[in-house]
Parts: sequence; structure tokens; C-alpha cells
Amino acid sequence: MFSLPHWLRSPRVVAGLLIVGLIAAAALLAPVIAPNDPQEQHLVSTLLPPAWSPGGDAAFPLGTDSLGRCVLSRLIHGARVALTVAIFASLGAMLLGAVLAHLAGYAGGAVDWTVGRAVDVWMSFPPVILSLILMVGLGVGLRNVILAIVLVDWTRFCRVLRAEVMVTARRDYVAAARLVGFSHWRILTREILPGTLPLIVTLTSLEMGIAVVVEAILSFVGMSVSADQAAWGQMIADARLSIYETPWNLAFPILAIFFAVLGFNLLGDGLRRTLDVRLA
Amino acid sequence: MSLTVLRLIMRRVIVALPILAIVSALLFCVLRVLPVDPAAMSLPPTATLAEIDAKRREMGLDRPLAAQYAIWVKDVAAGDFGTSIHFRRAVAGLIAETLPATIELALLAMIVAAALGLAGGLYLFHVRGTWREPAADLGSIVLLSIPEFLWGLFFILLFGVAVPLLPFTGRLSAGFQRPMHTGFLLLDTLIAGRFDMFRDALAHMALPALALGLAFSPAIMRVLRSSLIDVYHDEYIAQARLRGLSERRILLRHALKNAILPTLSLMGVQFGFLFGGTLLVEVIYSYPGLGNLMVDAVRNADLPIIQAVGLTYCILVLAINTMVDALYLVLDPRLR
Repeated sequence: MFSLPHWLRSPRVVAGLLIVGLIAAAALLAPVIAPNDPQEQHLVSTLLPPAWSPGGDAAFPLGTDSLGRCVLSRLIHGARVALTVAIFASLGAMLLGAVLAHLAGYAGGAVDWTVGRAVDVWMSFPPVILSLILMVGLGVGLRNVILAIVLVDWTRFCRVLRAEVMVTARRDYVAAARLVGFSHWRILTREILPGTLPLIVTLTSLEMGIAVVVEAILSFVGMSVSADQAAWGQMIADARLSIYETPWNLAFPILAIFFAVLGFNLLGDGLRRTLDVRLA
Repeated sequence: MSLTVLRLIMRRVIVALPILAIVSALLFCVLRVLPVDPAAMSLPPTATLAEIDAKRREMGLDRPLAAQYAIWVKDVAAGDFGTSIHFRRAVAGLIAETLPATIELALLAMIVAAALGLAGGLYLFHVRGTWREPAADLGSIVLLSIPEFLWGLFFILLFGVAVPLLPFTGRLSAGFQRPMHTGFLLLDTLIAGRFDMFRDALAHMALPALALGLAFSPAIMRVLRSSLIDVYHDEYIAQARLRGLSERRILLRHALKNAILPTLSLMGVQFGFLFGGTLLVEVIYSYPGLGNLMVDAVRNADLPIIQAVGLTYCILVLAINTMVDALYLVLDPRLR
């Protein structure tokens, strides 16, 4: 009999996967499903309302922004930036944080002390401020946004995982593996990692939601991708200037960010429950 | 007791000093790789190359990086954060004007977050095991998915545009002349006895504080709920039940006292993040605080301000952590 893995039977995981999958599909198919070029300016039809309200134009289903660009197309193309950042930034932060956490938790001593002090220094900054300062140093661009988020958020993984590694490393089966004479590399990857993996997966999923928000914040203040790429935060910044004329333009990217974060959080919370991970 | 607290504060200050040194050095290095020339930026566009060169020497930009850093540290230690390139004013003055506004907003937001977090946590605990639990749980995830700036924008749409109830730009309505005593507007209006102005200032802070508070409350709710569940496994709860105390009394008078401690330490961490959150909320509500100053500085590549504001945020976070630890020590006699 074919049976689903148990984590796929959690309604939260399924709902989260559905939402994320929908956004991912929109991002992948953006050039096909977007009704207009997201950058093309129709200066005769700026700030149009959505097609269903009076004065709307069927060519622009969700209306146009202050430069006459199609809101729906920008929303769909913005999903590309959001998801690219979410995936690569969270994987990068996970790799950096997890490697350091495993080294620190397993080796202890001076390595642990050094990593611990580095985390202390990083944690003495509000994350948003640190990423903004890094973006000033790195300059705008998709790759730099990802790099900035990785360099800021690795501590979220490191702090939580280090404690988990220390608990796992004290288990009897790890001591047994040492007695058998396995190499440190083998113990770390084959004995300890399987124990910490559920926590890593859960944290990564939650980090994707955080990355979406950070990217939106950075692009809102104009410090994310360059202006020729549509991003949700940029759309919010643009719509804020014409809030009385077209409140809809503000509502759509807000909803997009909300659903993206909700999807990743549902996924993370569902995984946390089914994989039985304890998060403080 | 006060001695233990003092000793803890001393120890934390000693630990904080090297952290501050490293953070300031990192800040300095990150911002020096920028392809902008502070000397050229602080002169009018008509300046000749020779003039720019002279300015560079005057600003110490021709010296090695380590020497530049040493100059900066020496000035900062004397309270001189340099001069803003864009505003052409002393950075220390700009920070002194904006910092109180941000602290006021963050404190108000923390009060909102703590109140909502406490109420929500008690509710989540109260409905455990009932048919309401899944819905309440889902509700807390939905709340967790709404960051402060989305709340901020949503409130502008709702209470600013659709149902205009509250103001959403600046700190005071036009026509008010703010009194200056401490720099904290709410305090100053009270000192001046201008209750009308106090109400106006509070109305201007209501939406941003609510946005921040709502965004930071769900984490508090969830930690309070789970630490209440932990505490209920303890024997003294069963004992209180045997003594015939009401469930309400056990929860509020016995369990909450212990369960609040982990919640408090989370709130300390959250408070640090909350200062980061004020950045965007201030921009959205055109609230003249540290965050707005920072974003302006970033847009103008105004290095002296970015450096100083970055350092200020860092000092704020370290100070909050120390205060929370001290509070912890006061509230939990077992730690002394």
C-alpha cells in the first residue's frame, strides 16, 4: 500500500505547501500569465482602478500604478524576486548558521567561545538595521539582498541549533560511535545531523517568511533590487504616494506579502508539530 | 539584592565594551568600501579637484583606515559624531532630537505588545483542549504572519483613509508649538500642563504603536502559553488544587508568577527587535524618529549619520538586554 509520509498528512503543511506552490507557480510562469509587461508605462492610463470597479480597464485587471504600469503583472513578477530571495537567502543563512552551530556545539572550547561571541556581536543589532547598513555597503541588486540577509540571519539558526547539537552530542549513541572510533566528520554527518535535521528544516521554512519580509522592507526604502525589477516593497512605496486615489494599489502587495509569509509560517509550524521540534 | 543587581550591570557593561568596539569597527569598515567620496559630497559641485583634495586631508581621508578609525573613536568618545554631509549639522544634535521620539514610540508599542501578549497567552492557555483551540492556534499563526509595516499600512488604509479616525503623519497637529523640557514629547506636554496637546500627541502615536504592538504580541502569546503548560506540570499546582483554590486563583496568582519569567526574557529580545521595527513604521507614518533619520541618511549616503545611528541602535539593544537581565534578577529570587 502506498501511504503518504506522515508530515504530509498535517493540514498546516498541506495548506502551507498549497499557498507557497501557488506563488511559486505564478513566479515561474510570470512571463506567460502576466497580462502586460511589468515595466511598460502607459502614461495615458495612470492610476486606473481594478477592472471590476467603475473606470476600470479590462486590459489591466488590477489597475495601474502612478506610471501606468500594470499592477497585476508587477505583482506576478514581484513574486519572482520575493521567492528567489526567500529560497536562496534562507538556504544560505541555514548553511552558514548550521555549519557554525555544529562546529561550535560539537567541538566546544575555543571554537564554541568564538562562535558564541560572534553571535553576541550580531545579536546586538536589530536585524533590519544591520541588513540596511549592509545594503549601503554592498549596493543594490538581487544578489546583494540575498547576501545581506544571509549575513544577518545566520545567527537565528546558529543560536538555536548550537544548543540542540550540544544535547544530541551528549547522547549515548554518539559516545558509542566515538568509542567505535568513527571520524569526527562521520559522527557529525551521520550521527548528529539526523538528530538536528528536523529543527533545521523547520527553521529554514520559517526563515523563508522572514526573508520575504526583509526583502519587502529593503525594497520599500529603495535598497533592494534595482528599479527596473518589480518588487512588492517598491509597489507599496509607490502606492503610498497615491493612497487616496487608489487605495487598492496599496492593498494588493500587502496581501501578497501576507499570504507568502502565512504560507511559509503554516509550513514551518506544521513541520514543527509533525517532526516534533521544540522551539522556544 | 541591589548589590547583586549592581554587580550584574557592571559585568554586562564590561562585556558590552568589546562588543561595541567590534561593532563600531565593523560599521566603519562596511561603510568605507562604499564608492562615494565624503569629501567631494560635502563641497559644492563647483569645487575644484585641489579643493576636494584639501578637504580630504582636512577630513583625514588620506590616512590609513586604522588611523581614520582611531580619529573617529576619539571624537565619538568626546561626544562628537561628526557633521552630517546632507544636513550640514552636528550628528550628535540630530540624534539627540530624534532618539527620544523613537524611545517613546518603542515603549508605548512594548506596552501594547505586552498587554496583548498577556491577554492572548492566557486565552490560548484557557482554550487548550477545547474545540476553540485549533481556531485560536491558527489565529496566532495568522497574527505571526503580519509584520509591523503591513499593520501600519493596513491601519492607514482603515483608520486614515476609509474611516478617518486617527491622524497618521507626524507627531502633532498643525498649530501646536511643542514645549521643550526633556525631549520626550509626551512628558514635555504633561510638564507644560497642556493636556490637549498630550492627547493630540498620543493620538498621533496610536496607530504606529498599535501596528508595532500587534506585530510583536503573537510571539509573546505563544511563549506564555507554552510556559504556562510547563508550569502546570509542577507539583505546587496540584497542591494548590488540593487546598481547594479556585482555578482562576491558581492561574492568576500562582502559575502566572512563574510562567511570566521566560516570557519576560523573550520580551527582552523582542524589545531589541522592536527598535528595528520602528524604522519602517516611522517612515510609513512620517514620524520624526531615529528610523526616519536613518533611512534619509541611507538614501543620501550620509556616512556620519549612518555610523552614529547604527552605533546608537547597538547601544540601545545592549542597554535593554542588561535591564531585562537585571529585572529578571529582581523578580526571580532563585537566581540570586
